[in-house]
Amino acid sequence: MSTPATAEPIAPMRQQLVMEFPYKHSTGETIGRFLAGLKEQKKIWGQRVAGQGVVVPPVGYSELDGSGGGEWVEVKDTGVITACAIVHHPVEKLHPCSSPFAFVLVKLDGADTALAHVVKGDLDKVKVGARVAAVWAADEARQGSIRDLECFRVTG
Amino acid sequence: MNEPPKEPVKYVQSHVYLPYHYVAGDYRARYLRALKDKKILGSKCSRTGKVFVPPLLNSPESFAPATEFVEVADKGVITTFCIVNIPVIGRDLQIPYVAASVALDGAALSIFALILEVQPEAVRMGMRVEAVWKPDGERHGDHEDIMYFRPTGEPDEPMESFIRRL
Repeated sequence: MSTPATAEPIAPMRQQLVMEFPYKHSTGETIGRFLAGLKEQKKIWGQRVAGQGVVVPPVGYSELDGSGGGEWVEVKDTGVITACAIVHHPVEKLHPCSSPFAFVLVKLDGADTALAHVVKGDLDKVKVGARVAAVWAADEARQGSIRDLECFRVTG
Repeated sequence: MNEPPKEPVKYVQSHVYLPYHYVAGDYRARYLRALKDKKILGSKCSRTGKVFVPPLLNSPESFAPATEFVEVADKGVITTFCIVNIPVIGRDLQIPYVAASVALDGAALSIFALILEVQPEAVRMGMRVEAVWKPDGERHGDHEDIMYFRPTGEPDEPMESFIRRL
């Protein structure tokens, strides 16, 4: 058989494919204890680092001079938005929520750095400077991950 | 309590999920459609006459357009192979199995193929193999229309016949 390649038009072929990589991320000592605090104590812990104040989540060392992380400090589960981006069209399984939400940086009360998280509800009130409070996952649902803090909600 | 728990959480489960659409171009769509009819199409270089499977628009060697479709055989020769002993996630095959490059009769390059119906230790470079197709009515025009390749029992080919078709 021998035919010219473009003898007749052909309908396009299209297929939906999915690449998935399930894996376990090793947390390490410092983040591991931060996550254990969320799960077991319903508390948010940071570390006091020379020159940086209270760092949340703790990284275990100073970003200025590389010296070790200091004393553990509990911070509040309320705070203020320092940056935000509203996601109007979440992608299933790719984003943490299936309905519109906001990615935010929250400076928790007692912390000097901001934590990245999500705000659900009242998206019209999401703006830099807005006060937020954490919504915790139920006791039996907390498993030692950042999602133990289910989301934040705007309080004023 | 002015310390977090002593015992840290050791792992978090992460999940990367990437949905996407694959769109076959004109040549690849024709190639896939032909598999449904148990035909393997290549494209012929207008300058050198070499046949590329799956079909390419242009020769990667001469850059000349490959404007003619040619059917190649559904049998050929194992040019190189490896025995796979590590299970691959998402691939439901009993290990060990053989993954090989097969140069089909009439094609200038080899394609990737699964070799079954033979002990892995018995597979050789130069071994003649043939495609095992899905039954009529079960082929949909995708790469799984050829389930695997198996030895034909013909005499081996000498290396000179396939060394330039790896």
